[in-house]
Amino acid sequence: MSSVFFLTLRQLSGRWRLIIMTALGGMPVLIAVTMLQSSSAPSVQEFESYVLSAMLAGAILPLIVLAIATAAFANEIEDKTLANLTLAPIPRWQIVLPKLLASICIAAPFMVASAFGTSFVAFSGDWQAALAVTAAALVGVTLYSSAFTWLGLETTRAMGYGLLYIVLWEGFFARYIAGVRFFSIRYYSIGLMRGFDARRFVTTDDLSFLFAIVASIVVLVGFILLSIRRLRHMDVP
Amino acid sequence: MTVNGAEPVITVDRVSRWFGSVVAVSDVTFDIAPGITGMLGPNGAGKTTLLRMMTGLADVSSGTVTVCGQPVRRNPPLYRRMGVMSEHETVYGFLKGRDFVKMMGRLRGVEDLDAAVDRAIGFVDLADASKRAMRTYSRGMRQRMRLAATLVHDPEILILDEPLNGADPRQRVHFQSLLEKLAAEGRTIVLSSHILEEVEQVADTVLLIVNGKLAASGDFRAIRVALDERPYHVLVVSDSPRELAAAVVKLDSVEAVNVDPDGRIVVLSRNVRDLQVELPRIAKAASISLRRVEPLDDSLESVFGYLVERQR
Repeated sequence: MSSVFFLTLRQLSGRWRLIIMTALGGMPVLIAVTMLQSSSAPSVQEFESYVLSAMLAGAILPLIVLAIATAAFANEIEDKTLANLTLAPIPRWQIVLPKLLASICIAAPFMVASAFGTSFVAFSGDWQAALAVTAAALVGVTLYSSAFTWLGLETTRAMGYGLLYIVLWEGFFARYIAGVRFFSIRYYSIGLMRGFDARRFVTTDDLSFLFAIVASIVVLVGFILLSIRRLRHMDVP
Repeated sequence: MTVNGAEPVITVDRVSRWFGSVVAVSDVTFDIAPGITGMLGPNGAGKTTLLRMMTGLADVSSGTVTVCGQPVRRNPPLYRRMGVMSEHETVYGFLKGRDFVKMMGRLRGVEDLDAAVDRAIGFVDLADASKRAMRTYSRGMRQRMRLAATLVHDPEILILDEPLNGADPRQRVHFQSLLEKLAAEGRTIVLSSHILEEVEQVADTVLLIVNGKLAASGDFRAIRVALDERPYHVLVVSDSPRELAAAVVKLDSVEAVNVDPDGRIVVLSRNVRDLQVELPRIAKAASISLRRVEPLDDSLESVFGYLVERQR
Protein backbone atom coordinates (compact mmCIF):
# COMPACT_ATOMS: atom_id res chain seq x y z
CA MET A 1 0.00 0.00 0.00
CA SER A 2 2.91 2.33 0.69
CA SER A 3 3.90 2.34 -3.02
CA VAL A 4 0.51 3.71 -4.07
CA PHE A 5 0.52 6.17 -1.16
CA PHE A 6 3.94 7.66 -1.93
CA LEU A 7 3.26 7.66 -5.67
CA THR A 8 0.04 9.63 -5.10
CA LEU A 9 1.79 12.05 -2.73
CA ARG A 10 4.27 12.84 -5.50
CA GLN A 11 1.52 13.18 -8.09
CA LEU A 12 -0.51 15.58 -5.96
CA SER A 13 2.28 17.82 -4.75
CA GLY A 14 2.75 19.87 -7.88
CA ARG A 15 4.19 23.32 -7.24
CA TRP A 16 1.25 25.33 -8.59
CA ARG A 17 -1.28 23.28 -6.71
CA LEU A 18 0.60 23.91 -3.46
CA ILE A 19 0.91 27.64 -4.16
CA ILE A 20 -2.83 27.98 -4.81
CA MET A 21 -3.67 25.99 -1.69
CA THR A 22 -1.37 28.16 0.41
CA ALA A 23 -3.07 31.30 -0.94
CA LEU A 24 -6.55 29.88 -0.34
CA GLY A 25 -5.65 28.63 3.12
CA GLY A 26 -4.19 31.98 4.10
CA MET A 27 -7.30 33.95 3.15
CA PRO A 28 -9.45 33.22 6.25
CA VAL A 29 -6.54 34.06 8.55
CA LEU A 30 -6.08 37.37 6.76
CA ILE A 31 -9.79 38.11 6.96
CA ALA A 32 -9.91 37.23 10.67
CA VAL A 33 -7.06 39.66 11.36
CA THR A 34 -8.75 42.38 9.29
CA MET A 35 -12.11 41.87 11.02
CA LEU A 36 -10.57 42.13 14.48
CA GLN A 37 -8.77 45.34 13.63
CA SER A 38 -11.90 47.04 12.36
CA SER A 39 -13.85 49.31 14.71
CA SER A 40 -16.91 47.04 14.71
CA ALA A 41 -15.43 43.64 15.57
CA PRO A 42 -17.89 40.77 14.92
CA SER A 43 -19.55 38.69 17.63
CA VAL A 44 -18.68 35.00 18.00
CA GLN A 45 -21.92 34.09 16.22
CA GLU A 46 -21.23 36.44 13.34
CA PHE A 47 -17.69 35.15 13.04
CA GLU A 48 -18.90 31.55 13.09
CA SER A 49 -21.54 32.25 10.48
CA TYR A 50 -19.50 34.31 8.02
CA VAL A 51 -15.94 33.10 8.38
CA LEU A 52 -16.01 29.59 9.83
CA SER A 53 -19.23 28.29 8.27
CA ALA A 54 -19.59 30.18 5.00
CA MET A 55 -16.00 30.82 4.07
CA LEU A 56 -13.88 28.11 5.67
CA ALA A 57 -16.25 25.12 5.79
CA GLY A 58 -18.45 26.18 2.88
CA ALA A 59 -15.92 27.32 0.31
CA ILE A 60 -12.20 27.13 1.01
CA LEU A 61 -12.11 23.68 2.59
CA PRO A 62 -14.16 21.92 -0.13
CA LEU A 63 -12.37 23.81 -2.92
CA ILE A 64 -8.93 22.82 -1.67
CA VAL A 65 -9.99 19.22 -1.20
CA LEU A 66 -11.75 19.18 -4.58
CA ALA A 67 -8.55 20.25 -6.35
CA ILE A 68 -6.57 17.50 -4.63
CA ALA A 69 -8.88 14.54 -4.16
CA THR A 70 -10.40 14.48 -7.65
CA ALA A 71 -6.86 14.41 -9.06
CA ALA A 72 -5.93 11.31 -7.07
CA PHE A 73 -7.53 9.06 -9.67
CA ALA A 74 -8.51 11.51 -12.41
CA ASN A 75 -4.89 12.34 -13.25
CA GLU A 76 -4.06 8.67 -13.64
CA ILE A 77 -7.13 8.09 -15.78
CA GLU A 78 -6.25 11.08 -17.96
CA ASP A 79 -2.58 10.04 -18.27
CA LYS A 80 -3.65 6.42 -18.79
CA THR A 81 -1.31 5.21 -16.05
CA LEU A 82 -4.02 3.75 -13.82
CA ALA A 83 -3.52 0.33 -15.44
CA ASN A 84 -0.08 0.19 -13.76
CA LEU A 85 -1.94 -0.06 -10.46
CA THR A 86 -5.04 -2.00 -11.44
CA LEU A 87 -2.95 -4.71 -13.12
CA ALA A 88 -1.30 -5.44 -9.79
CA PRO A 89 -2.44 -8.59 -7.94
CA ILE A 90 -3.75 -6.63 -4.97
CA PRO A 91 -7.30 -6.07 -3.71
CA ARG A 92 -8.85 -2.83 -4.97
CA TRP A 93 -9.13 -1.38 -1.47
CA GLN A 94 -5.33 -1.39 -1.35
CA ILE A 95 -5.43 1.10 -4.22
CA VAL A 96 -8.34 3.23 -3.01
CA LEU A 97 -7.28 3.66 0.64
CA PRO A 98 -3.70 4.86 0.01
CA LYS A 99 -4.98 7.25 -2.67
CA LEU A 100 -7.53 8.64 -0.23
CA LEU A 101 -4.97 8.84 2.55
CA ALA A 102 -2.53 10.70 0.30
CA SER A 103 -5.26 13.21 -0.64
CA ILE A 104 -5.98 13.81 3.03
CA CYS A 105 -2.28 14.12 3.86
CA ILE A 106 -1.78 16.78 1.18
CA ALA A 107 -4.91 18.81 1.97
CA ALA A 108 -4.89 18.47 5.76
CA PRO A 109 -1.81 20.58 6.62
CA PHE A 110 -3.20 23.56 4.69
CA MET A 111 -6.62 23.28 6.26
CA VAL A 112 -5.31 22.57 9.75
CA ALA A 113 -3.04 25.62 9.57
CA SER A 114 -5.81 27.75 8.11
CA ALA A 115 -8.50 26.62 10.59
CA PHE A 116 -6.24 26.82 13.61
CA GLY A 117 -4.73 30.17 12.59
CA THR A 118 -8.11 31.73 11.83
CA SER A 119 -9.82 30.61 15.03
CA PHE A 120 -6.81 31.24 17.26
CA VAL A 121 -6.61 34.83 16.03
CA ALA A 122 -10.36 35.37 16.11
CA PHE A 123 -10.86 33.92 19.59
CA SER A 124 -7.89 35.74 21.06
CA GLY A 125 -5.78 32.69 21.79
CA ASP A 126 -8.59 30.40 23.02
CA TRP A 127 -6.90 27.03 22.53
CA GLN A 128 -9.98 24.92 23.10
CA ALA A 129 -12.00 26.78 20.48
CA ALA A 130 -9.10 26.73 18.02
CA LEU A 131 -8.65 22.99 18.49
CA ALA A 132 -12.38 22.38 18.06
CA VAL A 133 -12.39 24.27 14.77
CA THR A 134 -9.23 22.47 13.64
CA ALA A 135 -10.55 19.02 14.48
CA ALA A 136 -13.81 19.77 12.67
CA ALA A 137 -11.85 20.98 9.64
CA LEU A 138 -9.82 17.79 9.68
CA VAL A 139 -13.02 15.73 9.64
CA GLY A 140 -14.29 17.94 6.80
CA VAL A 141 -11.09 17.29 4.82
CA THR A 142 -11.51 13.54 5.34
CA LEU A 143 -15.17 13.47 4.32
CA TYR A 144 -14.79 15.71 1.28
CA SER A 145 -11.70 13.72 0.25
CA SER A 146 -13.63 10.47 0.28
CA ALA A 147 -16.44 12.04 -1.76
CA PHE A 148 -14.19 13.73 -4.32
CA THR A 149 -11.87 10.73 -4.67
CA TRP A 150 -14.93 8.73 -5.71
CA LEU A 151 -16.05 11.53 -8.02
CA GLY A 152 -12.64 11.52 -9.75
CA LEU A 153 -13.11 7.81 -10.47
CA GLU A 154 -16.69 8.17 -11.58
CA THR A 155 -16.42 10.94 -14.17
CA THR A 156 -13.88 12.80 -16.25
CA ARG A 157 -15.71 16.04 -15.36
CA ALA A 158 -15.13 15.69 -11.63
CA MET A 159 -13.96 19.29 -11.15
CA GLY A 160 -17.09 20.68 -12.81
CA TYR A 161 -19.52 18.48 -10.95
CA GLY A 162 -17.60 19.06 -7.73
CA LEU A 163 -17.88 22.84 -8.12
CA LEU A 164 -21.60 22.55 -8.79
CA TYR A 165 -21.98 20.43 -5.67
CA ILE A 166 -20.04 22.90 -3.52
CA VAL A 167 -21.89 25.97 -4.82
CA LEU A 168 -25.41 24.59 -5.14
CA TRP A 169 -25.72 21.85 -2.56
CA GLU A 170 -23.34 22.89 0.21
CA GLY A 171 -23.48 26.64 -0.44
CA PHE A 172 -27.11 27.25 -1.32
CA PHE A 173 -29.50 24.41 -0.51
CA ALA A 174 -27.83 23.38 2.76
CA ARG A 175 -27.75 26.98 3.93
CA TYR A 176 -31.34 27.90 3.17
CA ILE A 177 -33.20 24.59 3.46
CA ALA A 178 -32.88 23.16 6.95
CA GLY A 179 -33.61 19.54 5.98
CA VAL A 180 -30.76 19.46 3.49
CA ARG A 181 -28.27 19.98 6.32
CA PHE A 182 -28.76 16.34 7.28
CA PHE A 183 -27.06 15.51 3.99
CA SER A 184 -24.37 18.18 4.06
CA ILE A 185 -20.71 17.52 4.85
CA ARG A 186 -20.31 21.20 5.65
CA TYR A 187 -22.94 20.99 8.38
CA TYR A 188 -21.51 17.74 9.75
CA SER A 189 -18.25 19.65 10.27
CA ILE A 190 -20.07 22.55 11.90
CA GLY A 191 -22.03 20.13 14.11
CA LEU A 192 -18.79 18.51 15.22
CA MET A 193 -17.18 21.89 15.88
CA ARG A 194 -20.07 22.87 18.13
CA GLY A 195 -19.89 19.53 19.90
CA PHE A 196 -16.15 19.75 20.46
CA ASP A 197 -16.50 23.12 22.22
CA ALA A 198 -20.08 23.71 23.36
CA ARG A 199 -18.77 26.40 25.69
CA ARG A 200 -17.73 28.67 22.81
CA PHE A 201 -20.13 27.71 20.04
CA VAL A 202 -23.89 27.80 20.28
CA THR A 203 -25.43 24.35 19.86
CA THR A 204 -28.52 24.31 17.68
CA ASP A 205 -31.25 21.70 17.48
CA ASP A 206 -31.07 21.03 13.78
CA LEU A 207 -27.98 18.80 13.74
CA SER A 208 -26.74 17.18 16.95
CA PHE A 209 -23.18 16.23 17.81
CA LEU A 210 -24.07 12.54 17.84
CA PHE A 211 -25.79 12.75 14.49
CA ALA A 212 -22.76 14.52 13.03
CA ILE A 213 -20.47 11.73 14.26
CA VAL A 214 -22.67 8.94 12.89
CA ALA A 215 -23.29 10.73 9.59
CA SER A 216 -19.57 11.40 9.15
CA ILE A 217 -18.76 7.71 9.60
CA VAL A 218 -21.52 6.72 7.16
CA VAL A 219 -20.30 9.20 4.52
CA LEU A 220 -16.66 8.14 4.88
CA VAL A 221 -17.34 4.40 4.72
CA GLY A 222 -19.96 4.86 2.00
CA PHE A 223 -17.70 6.74 -0.38
CA ILE A 224 -14.79 4.37 0.25
CA LEU A 225 -17.03 1.42 -0.65
CA LEU A 226 -18.37 3.24 -3.72
CA SER A 227 -14.79 3.96 -4.88
CA ILE A 228 -13.75 0.32 -4.43
CA ARG A 229 -16.81 -0.83 -6.31
CA ARG A 230 -16.19 1.65 -9.12
CA LEU A 231 -12.56 0.58 -9.46
CA ARG A 232 -13.61 -3.06 -9.68
CA HIS A 233 -16.23 -2.47 -12.35
CA MET A 234 -14.88 0.34 -14.52
CA ASP A 235 -13.06 -0.06 -17.82
CA VAL A 236 -9.53 1.09 -17.10
CA PRO A 237 -8.05 3.10 -19.98
CA MET B 1 -6.79 -27.14 -28.42
CA THR B 2 -5.02 -24.35 -30.28
CA VAL B 3 -4.04 -24.25 -33.92
CA ASN B 4 -0.65 -25.78 -33.12
CA GLY B 5 -2.18 -28.50 -30.93
CA ALA B 6 -0.97 -27.19 -27.58
CA GLU B 7 -3.20 -26.66 -24.54
CA PRO B 8 -4.58 -23.12 -24.55
CA VAL B 9 -3.45 -20.63 -21.91
CA ILE B 10 -5.78 -17.85 -23.00
CA THR B 11 -9.25 -18.63 -24.30
CA VAL B 12 -11.40 -16.02 -25.99
CA ASP B 13 -14.87 -17.43 -26.57
CA ARG B 14 -17.45 -15.61 -28.72
CA VAL B 15 -16.37 -12.27 -27.37
CA SER B 16 -18.01 -9.06 -28.52
CA ARG B 17 -17.68 -5.53 -27.31
CA TRP B 18 -19.67 -2.53 -28.39
CA PHE B 19 -19.63 1.11 -27.38
CA GLY B 20 -23.15 2.46 -27.91
CA SER B 21 -23.94 1.66 -31.52
CA VAL B 22 -20.28 1.08 -32.47
CA VAL B 23 -19.18 -2.55 -32.57
CA ALA B 24 -15.48 -2.66 -31.69
CA VAL B 25 -15.13 -6.45 -31.46
CA SER B 26 -17.62 -8.86 -32.94
CA ASP B 27 -18.01 -12.51 -31.95
CA VAL B 28 -14.31 -13.37 -31.80
CA THR B 29 -13.18 -16.83 -30.75
CA PHE B 30 -9.63 -18.13 -30.48
CA ASP B 31 -7.19 -19.88 -28.15
CA ILE B 32 -3.62 -18.92 -27.42
CA ALA B 33 -0.96 -21.44 -26.47
CA PRO B 34 2.60 -21.00 -25.14
CA GLY B 35 4.91 -19.39 -27.69
CA ILE B 36 4.65 -16.07 -29.48
CA THR B 37 1.32 -15.13 -30.99
CA GLY B 38 1.13 -12.02 -33.10
CA MET B 39 -2.08 -10.03 -33.22
CA LEU B 40 -2.09 -8.16 -36.46
CA GLY B 41 -4.52 -5.63 -37.80
CA PRO B 42 -4.78 -2.11 -39.14
CA ASN B 43 -5.23 0.82 -36.78
CA GLY B 44 -8.78 0.83 -35.43
CA ALA B 45 -9.32 -2.87 -36.15
CA GLY B 46 -10.14 -3.66 -32.51
CA LYS B 47 -6.81 -5.14 -31.41
CA THR B 48 -6.43 -2.92 -28.36
CA THR B 49 -10.03 -3.45 -27.25
CA LEU B 50 -9.51 -7.20 -27.59
CA LEU B 51 -6.24 -7.08 -25.65
CA ARG B 52 -7.84 -4.98 -22.93
CA MET B 53 -10.56 -7.58 -22.55
CA MET B 54 -7.90 -10.32 -22.48
CA THR B 55 -6.20 -8.52 -19.60
CA GLY B 56 -9.38 -7.76 -17.68
CA LEU B 57 -8.96 -4.00 -18.04
CA ALA B 58 -12.20 -3.81 -20.02
CA ASP B 59 -15.40 -5.78 -19.70
CA VAL B 60 -16.86 -7.84 -22.52
CA SER B 61 -20.34 -7.05 -23.83
CA SER B 62 -20.85 -10.76 -24.45
CA GLY B 63 -18.74 -13.91 -24.41
CA THR B 64 -16.00 -14.98 -22.02
CA VAL B 65 -12.25 -14.56 -21.64
CA THR B 66 -10.32 -16.98 -19.46
CA VAL B 67 -6.63 -17.07 -18.62
CA CYS B 68 -5.25 -20.33 -17.20
CA GLY B 69 -8.85 -21.52 -16.94
CA GLN B 70 -9.96 -18.60 -14.77
CA PRO B 71 -12.02 -15.56 -15.72
CA VAL B 72 -9.62 -12.66 -16.08
CA ARG B 73 -12.03 -9.86 -15.23
CA ARG B 74 -12.19 -8.86 -11.55
CA ASN B 75 -9.60 -11.48 -10.66
CA PRO B 76 -6.53 -9.54 -9.40
CA PRO B 77 -4.63 -12.62 -8.09
CA LEU B 78 -4.30 -13.74 -11.72
CA TYR B 79 -2.09 -10.71 -12.42
CA ARG B 80 0.70 -12.40 -10.47
CA ARG B 81 1.07 -14.64 -13.54
CA MET B 82 0.55 -11.95 -16.17
CA GLY B 83 2.68 -9.10 -17.45
CA VAL B 84 0.80 -6.50 -19.44
CA MET B 85 2.24 -3.60 -21.40
CA SER B 86 -0.51 -1.32 -22.66
CA GLU B 87 -0.26 0.77 -25.82
CA HIS B 88 -0.14 4.05 -23.87
CA GLU B 89 3.36 5.37 -23.52
CA THR B 90 2.72 7.71 -20.60
CA VAL B 91 4.97 7.11 -17.62
CA TYR B 92 5.40 8.74 -14.23
CA GLY B 93 7.89 11.32 -15.47
CA PHE B 94 9.06 12.30 -11.99
CA LEU B 95 10.11 8.75 -11.16
CA LYS B 96 13.55 7.40 -11.97
CA GLY B 97 13.45 4.39 -14.27
CA ARG B 98 14.71 2.07 -11.57
CA ASP B 99 12.22 3.40 -9.02
CA PHE B 100 9.38 2.80 -11.48
CA VAL B 101 10.40 -0.81 -12.06
CA LYS B 102 10.90 -1.28 -8.33
CA MET B 103 7.46 0.13 -7.56
CA MET B 104 5.87 -2.21 -10.10
CA GLY B 105 7.76 -5.14 -8.57
CA ARG B 106 6.67 -4.20 -5.07
CA LEU B 107 3.04 -3.94 -6.18
CA ARG B 108 3.33 -7.41 -7.68
CA GLY B 109 4.76 -8.91 -4.52
CA VAL B 110 8.21 -9.70 -5.90
CA GLU B 111 10.62 -11.24 -3.41
CA ASP B 112 14.28 -10.25 -3.58
CA LEU B 113 13.18 -7.06 -5.25
CA ASP B 114 16.57 -5.49 -5.98
CA ALA B 115 17.79 -8.58 -7.84
CA ALA B 116 14.54 -8.76 -9.84
CA VAL B 117 14.81 -5.09 -10.77
CA ASP B 118 18.43 -5.50 -11.88
CA ARG B 119 17.50 -8.51 -13.98
CA ALA B 120 14.51 -6.78 -15.63
CA ILE B 121 16.48 -3.60 -16.41
CA GLY B 122 19.32 -5.77 -17.71
CA PHE B 123 16.88 -7.49 -20.07
CA VAL B 124 16.10 -4.18 -21.77
CA ASP B 125 19.69 -2.95 -21.62
CA LEU B 126 18.92 0.27 -19.78
CA ALA B 127 21.08 -0.02 -16.65
CA ASP B 128 23.00 3.17 -17.49
CA ALA B 129 19.85 5.29 -17.70
CA SER B 130 17.99 3.68 -14.82
CA LYS B 131 18.90 6.38 -12.30
CA ARG B 132 17.53 9.21 -14.43
CA ALA B 133 14.00 10.59 -14.19
CA MET B 134 11.85 9.06 -16.90
CA ARG B 135 10.77 12.47 -18.22
CA THR B 136 14.29 12.73 -19.68
CA TYR B 137 13.90 9.47 -21.64
CA SER B 138 13.35 9.18 -25.37
CA ARG B 139 10.20 7.43 -26.55
CA GLY B 140 12.10 4.22 -27.19
CA MET B 141 13.72 4.30 -23.75
CA ARG B 142 10.35 4.81 -22.09
CA GLN B 143 8.99 1.80 -23.92
CA ARG B 144 11.95 -0.33 -22.87
CA MET B 145 11.66 0.72 -19.22
CA ARG B 146 7.93 -0.08 -19.36
CA LEU B 147 8.86 -3.49 -20.72
CA ALA B 148 11.29 -3.96 -17.81
CA ALA B 149 8.45 -3.10 -15.42
CA THR B 150 6.25 -5.66 -17.22
CA LEU B 151 8.92 -8.35 -16.79
CA VAL B 152 9.98 -7.59 -13.22
CA HIS B 153 7.76 -10.25 -11.60
CA ASP B 154 8.83 -12.88 -14.13
CA PRO B 155 5.32 -13.48 -15.53
CA GLU B 156 4.48 -16.64 -17.44
CA ILE B 157 2.04 -14.76 -19.69
CA LEU B 158 3.02 -11.57 -21.49
CA ILE B 159 0.53 -9.37 -23.30
CA LEU B 160 2.22 -6.54 -25.19
CA ASP B 161 0.24 -3.93 -27.12
CA GLU B 162 2.34 -2.30 -29.85
CA PRO B 163 5.53 -2.66 -27.78
CA LEU B 164 7.85 -1.64 -30.60
CA ASN B 165 6.44 1.87 -30.99
CA GLY B 166 9.34 4.29 -30.92
CA ALA B 167 12.02 1.61 -31.04
CA ASP B 168 14.96 2.06 -33.41
CA PRO B 169 16.18 -0.83 -35.61
CA ARG B 170 18.84 -1.92 -33.11
CA GLN B 171 16.30 -1.97 -30.29
CA ARG B 172 13.89 -3.94 -32.46
CA VAL B 173 16.50 -6.65 -33.03
CA HIS B 174 17.27 -6.71 -29.31
CA PHE B 175 13.57 -6.86 -28.44
CA GLN B 176 12.94 -9.67 -30.90
CA SER B 177 15.76 -11.79 -29.51
CA LEU B 178 14.48 -11.09 -25.98
CA LEU B 179 10.99 -12.26 -26.91
CA GLU B 180 12.37 -15.40 -28.52
CA LYS B 181 14.37 -16.14 -25.38
CA LEU B 182 11.33 -15.63 -23.16
CA ALA B 183 9.17 -17.81 -25.41
CA ALA B 184 11.82 -20.55 -25.38
CA GLU B 185 11.39 -20.67 -21.59
CA GLY B 186 7.77 -21.76 -22.15
CA ARG B 187 6.02 -18.43 -21.73
CA THR B 188 2.90 -17.37 -23.55
CA ILE B 189 3.44 -14.09 -25.36
CA VAL B 190 0.84 -12.08 -27.25
CA LEU B 191 2.22 -9.23 -29.29
CA SER B 192 0.07 -6.79 -31.22
CA SER B 193 1.14 -4.65 -34.12
CA HIS B 194 -0.19 -3.00 -37.23
CA ILE B 195 3.09 -3.67 -39.03
CA LEU B 196 3.19 -6.98 -40.86
CA GLU B 197 6.97 -7.39 -40.86
CA GLU B 198 7.23 -6.61 -37.15
CA VAL B 199 5.07 -9.60 -36.27
CA GLU B 200 6.40 -11.83 -39.03
CA GLN B 201 9.89 -11.81 -37.58
CA VAL B 202 8.94 -13.16 -34.15
CA ALA B 203 5.50 -14.75 -34.13
CA ASP B 204 4.85 -18.44 -34.77
CA THR B 205 1.11 -17.97 -34.85
CA VAL B 206 -0.88 -15.02 -36.07
CA LEU B 207 -4.34 -13.65 -35.38
CA LEU B 208 -5.51 -11.24 -38.06
CA ILE B 209 -8.10 -8.79 -36.81
CA VAL B 210 -10.08 -6.70 -39.29
CA ASN B 211 -13.07 -4.51 -38.43
CA GLY B 212 -13.40 -6.14 -35.03
CA LYS B 213 -13.53 -9.65 -36.46
CA LEU B 214 -11.02 -12.46 -36.64
CA ALA B 215 -10.17 -12.51 -40.36
CA ALA B 216 -7.61 -15.30 -40.22
CA SER B 217 -5.58 -17.22 -37.69
CA GLY B 218 -2.93 -19.87 -37.65
CA ASP B 219 0.61 -20.52 -38.71
CA PHE B 220 2.29 -17.38 -39.99
CA ARG B 221 3.91 -19.09 -42.98
CA ALA B 222 0.56 -20.36 -44.29
CA ILE B 223 -0.90 -16.90 -44.03
CA ARG B 224 2.16 -15.41 -45.67
CA VAL B 225 1.73 -17.78 -48.62
CA ALA B 226 -1.87 -16.66 -48.90
CA LEU B 227 -0.68 -13.08 -48.90
CA ASP B 228 1.89 -13.80 -51.56
CA GLU B 229 -0.76 -15.37 -53.78
CA ARG B 230 -2.99 -12.33 -53.80
CA PRO B 231 -2.89 -10.18 -56.95
CA TYR B 232 -0.84 -7.03 -56.49
CA HIS B 233 -0.83 -3.87 -58.58
CA VAL B 234 2.73 -2.65 -59.03
CA LEU B 235 3.66 0.66 -60.64
CA VAL B 236 6.82 0.60 -62.77
CA VAL B 237 8.44 3.67 -64.33
CA SER B 238 11.24 3.11 -66.81
CA ASP B 239 12.93 4.79 -69.77
CA SER B 240 11.38 2.27 -72.20
CA PRO B 241 7.88 1.40 -70.98
CA ARG B 242 6.48 -0.37 -74.05
CA GLU B 243 9.50 -2.64 -74.45
CA LEU B 244 9.45 -3.46 -70.73
CA ALA B 245 5.68 -4.10 -70.77
CA ALA B 246 6.04 -6.51 -73.67
CA ALA B 247 8.67 -8.50 -71.76
CA VAL B 248 6.88 -8.45 -68.40
CA VAL B 249 3.52 -9.65 -69.75
CA LYS B 250 5.21 -12.92 -70.77
CA LEU B 251 5.85 -13.84 -67.12
CA ASP B 252 3.60 -16.61 -65.82
CA SER B 253 2.83 -14.70 -62.63
CA VAL B 254 1.66 -11.59 -64.47
CA GLU B 255 -2.05 -11.37 -65.23
CA ALA B 256 -2.18 -8.00 -66.94
CA VAL B 257 -0.03 -5.02 -67.90
CA ASN B 258 -1.32 -1.52 -68.66
CA VAL B 259 0.72 1.35 -70.02
CA ASP B 260 -0.82 4.72 -69.36
CA PRO B 261 -0.38 7.83 -71.61
CA ASP B 262 2.41 9.08 -69.35
CA GLY B 263 4.39 5.92 -70.06
CA ARG B 264 3.90 4.43 -66.59
CA ILE B 265 3.28 0.69 -66.39
CA VAL B 266 0.84 -0.88 -63.97
CA VAL B 267 1.46 -4.61 -63.60
CA LEU B 268 -1.10 -6.94 -62.05
CA SER B 269 0.86 -9.85 -60.61
CA ARG B 270 -0.34 -12.90 -58.72
CA ASN B 271 3.13 -13.65 -57.38
CA VAL B 272 4.77 -10.48 -56.28
CA ARG B 273 7.95 -12.24 -55.15
CA ASP B 274 8.42 -13.63 -58.66
CA LEU B 275 7.95 -10.15 -60.08
CA GLN B 276 10.48 -8.74 -57.61
CA VAL B 277 13.06 -11.21 -58.91
CA GLU B 278 12.21 -11.12 -62.62
CA LEU B 279 11.72 -7.38 -63.16
CA PRO B 280 15.34 -6.34 -62.56
CA ARG B 281 16.56 -9.32 -64.60
CA ILE B 282 14.38 -8.36 -67.60
CA ALA B 283 15.41 -4.72 -67.35
CA LYS B 284 19.08 -5.60 -67.18
CA ALA B 285 18.86 -7.97 -70.15
CA ALA B 286 17.12 -5.35 -72.30
CA SER B 287 19.31 -2.47 -71.00
CA ILE B 288 16.24 -0.68 -69.66
CA SER B 289 16.62 1.69 -66.71
CA LEU B 290 14.08 1.20 -63.93
CA ARG B 291 13.29 4.56 -62.33
CA ARG B 292 10.59 3.58 -59.92
CA VAL B 293 8.95 0.34 -58.71
CA GLU B 294 6.15 0.79 -56.20
CA PRO B 295 3.39 -1.49 -54.94
CA LEU B 296 0.08 0.31 -55.33
CA ASP B 297 -1.98 -1.70 -52.89
CA ASP B 298 0.45 -2.94 -50.30
CA SER B 299 -1.21 -1.27 -47.38
CA LEU B 300 -2.13 -3.57 -44.53
CA GLU B 301 -5.78 -2.71 -45.03
CA SER B 302 -5.69 -4.07 -48.59
CA VAL B 303 -3.97 -7.24 -47.41
CA PHE B 304 -6.61 -7.78 -44.77
CA GLY B 305 -9.35 -6.88 -47.21
CA TYR B 306 -8.06 -9.56 -49.53
CA LEU B 307 -7.93 -12.15 -46.77
CA VAL B 308 -11.44 -11.32 -45.66
CA GLU B 309 -12.69 -11.69 -49.24
CA ARG B 310 -10.94 -15.06 -49.50
CA GLN B 311 -12.70 -16.28 -46.38
CA ARG B 312 -16.16 -15.57 -47.75
